[in-house]
Amino acid sequence: MLAVIPVRDGELPAGALETIAECGGRVVLVGDRLDVVDVVGATDVRTVELGPFAPGSWAASLDALLADEPIVVLPASPDGRDLAPRLAHVLRRPLVAGAVSVAPERITVPRRGGLELHVLAVRPPIVATLQPGVRGVDPAPPVPDRHGTRRAVVLERRDVPDATVVAVHPPDVTTIDLTEADRIAAGGAGLDSAARFDQLSRIAAAIGGAMGATRVVTDRAWVGHERQIGTTGVVVSPELYLSFGISGAVQHTSGLGDPRHVISVNVDPHCPMMQMSDLAVVSDANSVLDELELLLGTTIR
Amino acid sequence: MTGFDVVVVGAGPAGACAATVLARKGRSVLLVERGPFPGSKNMYGGVVYPRMLDLLHPEWWHDVPYQRWITRRSTMLLTDTQAVTLDFRTDAWGRPPYNGMTAYRPDFDNWLARKAEADGAELVCSTTATGLLVDADRVVGVRTDRPDGDVTADVVIACDGVNSFLAKEAGLFGAVDAANYTLGVKETISLPKDVIDERFAVRGREGVDIEILGGTSGVNGGAFVYTNLDTLGVGAVLKLPALAAQSTRPEAIIAALKAHPAVAPLVEGGELVEYSAHLIPEAGLAMIPKLATNGMLVAGDAASLCLAAGIWLEGVNFAMASGMYAAEAADEALRNRDLSVSGLAGYERRLASTFVLRDHRRLRRVPALVLSDRVQHTYPQVTANVVERMFRVDNPAPKPGLRRIVKEERKRAGMRWRHLARDAWAGIRGFG
Amino acid sequence: MNVLVCWKWVAPGDDDRWAGVSAADHAALEIALTLAGDSDAFVTVATVGPPGAEAALRDAVARGARRAVRVDAPRDLLSEAVAGALAALAGSCRWVLCGDYSLDRGSGSVPALIAAHLGVAQALGLVDAGTDAEGRLHAVRRLDGGRREELSVASPAVVSVEGSVARLRRASLTAELAARAAAIEVVDGPQGPRETPIDEGPYRPRARVLPAPTGSDALTRIRSLMSSGVAVAHGETVTLDPPQAAARIVQSLRDWGYVAPLSEGAPPA
Ligand SMILES: Cc1cc2nc3c(=O)[nH]c(=O)nc-3n(C[C@H](O)[C@H](O)[C@H](O)COP(=O)(O)OP(=O)(O)OC[C@H]3O[C@@H](n4cnc5c(N)ncnc54)[C@H](O)[C@@H]3O)c2cc1C
Ligand SMILES: Cc1cc2nc3c(=O)[nH]c(=O)nc-3n(C[C@H](O)[C@H](O)[C@H](O)COP(=O)(O)OP(=O)(O)OC[C@H]3O[C@@H](n4cnc5c(N)ncnc54)[C@H](O)[C@@H]3O)c2cc1C
Ligand SMILES: Nc1ncnc2c1ncn2[C@@H]1O[C@H](COP(=O)(O)O)[C@@H](O)[C@H]1O
Repeated sequence: MLAVIPVRDGELPAGALETIAECGGRVVLVGDRLDVVDVVGATDVRTVELGPFAPGSWAASLDALLADEPIVVLPASPDGRDLAPRLAHVLRRPLVAGAVSVAPERITVPRRGGLELHVLAVRPPIVATLQPGVRGVDPAPPVPDRHGTRRAVVLERRDVPDATVVAVHPPDVTTIDLTEADRIAAGGAGLDSAARFDQLSRIAAAIGGAMGATRVVTDRAWVGHERQIGTTGVVVSPELYLSFGISGAVQHTSGLGDPRHVISVNVDPHCPMMQMSDLAVVSDANSVLDELELLLGTTIR
Repeated sequence: MTGFDVVVVGAGPAGACAATVLARKGRSVLLVERGPFPGSKNMYGGVVYPRMLDLLHPEWWHDVPYQRWITRRSTMLLTDTQAVTLDFRTDAWGRPPYNGMTAYRPDFDNWLARKAEADGAELVCSTTATGLLVDADRVVGVRTDRPDGDVTADVVIACDGVNSFLAKEAGLFGAVDAANYTLGVKETISLPKDVIDERFAVRGREGVDIEILGGTSGVNGGAFVYTNLDTLGVGAVLKLPALAAQSTRPEAIIAALKAHPAVAPLVEGGELVEYSAHLIPEAGLAMIPKLATNGMLVAGDAASLCLAAGIWLEGVNFAMASGMYAAEAADEALRNRDLSVSGLAGYERRLASTFVLRDHRRLRRVPALVLSDRVQHTYPQVTANVVERMFRVDNPAPKPGLRRIVKEERKRAGMRWRHLARDAWAGIRGFG
Repeated sequence: MNVLVCWKWVAPGDDDRWAGVSAADHAALEIALTLAGDSDAFVTVATVGPPGAEAALRDAVARGARRAVRVDAPRDLLSEAVAGALAALAGSCRWVLCGDYSLDRGSGSVPALIAAHLGVAQALGLVDAGTDAEGRLHAVRRLDGGRREELSVASPAVVSVEGSVARLRRASLTAELAARAAAIEVVDGPQGPRETPIDEGPYRPRARVLPAPTGSDALTRIRSLMSSGVAVAHGETVTLDPPQAAARIVQSLRDWGYVAPLSEGAPPA
């Protein structure tokens, strides 16, 4: 198995180290300013400078290099999700996207909003993408030279039509509170109206935290997309996570980091979010929010 | 702008049946429904009394999406700690033509409305009627919230449910009095089918309907437990003023009901799958509005044609019937080319000559009686105490005579004979 | 100018959250209709799937699509086959608009595969999209860590959007009624290969490889191990009425030191 990691301006994408670990340390870094990239736990590193991100052209250029690799794995980060299908196409092989684990003969993928896992038999050659945040990375090996071998490969760049990058913007300032927050109160489809999220913001504020939501909610435009927590939204790392009416799909929870305390309110005690909670409260999240607002309003200094 | 012979607003039981009848008479009819599909948001206790279906869809039981056939009906008197139950069961109700069935409204209403569609009615969902189109003194159609959503029609039939916004706009309602409504709240609780079968002593598709007097935490009203295939409907019907007066939350009342020694063993261990609430027009005949104006008829809950007389809670059958009669009247008016109130008078005539208004007339005094403090609190308490003492064995003390027990309990509860006599008389006149 | 909109329809099953058409696909149609609005564009909506999908296509027509095509195919077709079938319809199109995810598979890979088939540019997972003066698509796409990338895309191109970029317009009543008679072109499509799992089950978090414990003293190291990894379930489950539930939550927040302990005079939680 070989990891292919799209690198932007010397920065690794989400899930890069997990993907490399999943592939036993074999990796091809592709992108720009690769010299500054430090990959922990990699044994065999090849670097391919191809300039700024251009999925179509990158795939066309990498074709030859990857032709004989039976299993190529990319992180299901935004750039990984863009590049993988283009690679699959030039390599003329199937793509398995968003896997939670990739092994030489079995790949496990989330289905139906991440609430089910399907195991697929692998018939190499294939291209796969690995969901960031579900695997974790191996403890850093104590050996001094932990970067393994490293060599630069020069490929001639084949240009095909790609979108032109106009600019890259830093995280939206209005949501810094969320990305930086160590306390987050988030709501999902279990909440019954857009107004609930204003209420949730007030409650979050009362405990000195920020408000977040799931994609189902941002898709309804009840909350701005920049407050979507998860692998395709913002990745957060709070100490305390309160979830109201969230089922805990992998694409959401893998964006949570490792909260020390999780409290969930849900009518379904068996959903993943409740399973991973320190305190799982079976109740109507909407009424609980009303009660919480009263309580926090009155009893907290 | 689109035009139809008739536009029916609301694809509940009333609207679906109205649309079916009109479509079969070859009228162009548009059935407008607010929800994403018929019944999507509709709730009720859980029992449909299907006689009207016989007329519209003979042998309906072959494809109706039902839960259980009601073969057992219990009426419970609850005090805080006691219960007196009258239990009736018969296998006959488990065979065609069936007396009653539990069904989920999203299934049942959808089924009924699709039949109207199959008969040629145009059903549009996710569309809310936002007002009436009026020309001089005639209703000539409805506004909807869709882009270019006005619909003209010779007749509008409002089947938009309790507290009908269209009936009000048409000025058919007098001043709305909260005292005329009760709030229905219901929890749907899931339990494995075999557990339900065992707890309620039923088999296969047999089901139970328990109507409860008392057990509503002192708030005047009634309560119920209905069996679906693998869920229970547990709910209460609460008099609005009383509810407002006591600042108890409806959920708390259901919680208390579920904790009652006579109910707890039935619902224990179940998982809450849904909580819902809905208004019920309770006052019967007292609150029925004018049923027609030029170019418009009102049916079902929209016309308060729901029989909610304590241990009776019937509305779906009244809705289906009134919807059908409204449709027949509309068709008649179209034939005679007279769409004025008088031209539509056939509707009220039909209601008056059938159970719809007859039952209401017969039971007109019952709601007030059943919801009175004495019937709600005093009588259940006295009855339960009397029964308890009749069956309690106090050896070595000899058994007390019934007369003495009744006397003592009556005193204890401060119950007056003349009140009892008056209520009994009202009851006899009411139910008689 | 022709625009192709790709709608994935999922047949209703045990859980209707995964049935129908995704919010992202709805948004894709809205973007297509807006593109069409400022030109004489002709919007075609296409789906690769079973006959059940035709109601969804009619809905798209009611909302403004001019032509509806169903490529007849079984469900669970592999994304490559789906993309191939859609690419075959995209020949004369300046824009191909997709959602960012389908409700069942949700891999977001079909759009890129269509772009690969056509050998055109792609702009995926857009959270904002509009056209500029030269008729190029001006788009914003999410990157890691909350960063966003601003793109300028020349047609022909394949675009996929998130559900939040646009609210799909409602069908007018007349269009809604007219669409019921709308003709739907059905073309033969691939009957395979299909995705056939060898095993299915509820989602269970994968046992995570924990980072080496950090922290000065043994205790903090152990705690960092204990508390690390959302996969570890060590919780208690309680069923409570809302008031008690809220009280219980605030209690835990106190116990864990997130909110100050009760000060005198304050009503007990
Ligand atoms: C490629 C891809 C990327 C994705 N990226 C993200 C992402 O970044 N972020 C994200 O959030 N999602 C993402 N998703 C979507 C994800 O798979 C789930 O669909 C989504 O997270 C579900 O959100 P939810 O929990 O709010 O809704 P649901 O899964 O519908 O869960 C709603 C929950 O509310 C509960 N509930 C219902 N009523 C009540 C009530 N009255 N009281 C209490 N609880 C109640 C239900 O039991 C249920 O558990 C992605 C999906 C894919 C395929
Ligand atoms: C708790 C409770 C328990 C009950 N138990 C029973 C029972 O066991 N048995 C029984 O027979 N009856 C019962 N009933 C009564 C029964 O539910 C009603 O009488 C019956 O549903 C009335 O039918 P309807 O078609 O008149 O109105 P509804 O069923 O209320 O249908 C009205 C329809 O109109 C739609 N609508 C409303 N406004 C608009 C608008 N502006 N535009 C478009 N569409 C609109 C609604 O979405 C709805 O689909 C109960 C009621 C409650 C609340
Ligand atoms: N069977 C299909 N028919 C039409 N469009 C599809 C189909 N499958 C996927 N798509 C499109 O591709 C997008 C991403 O789907 P997926 O790759 O399955 O997550 C969807 O939002 C649709 O726009």
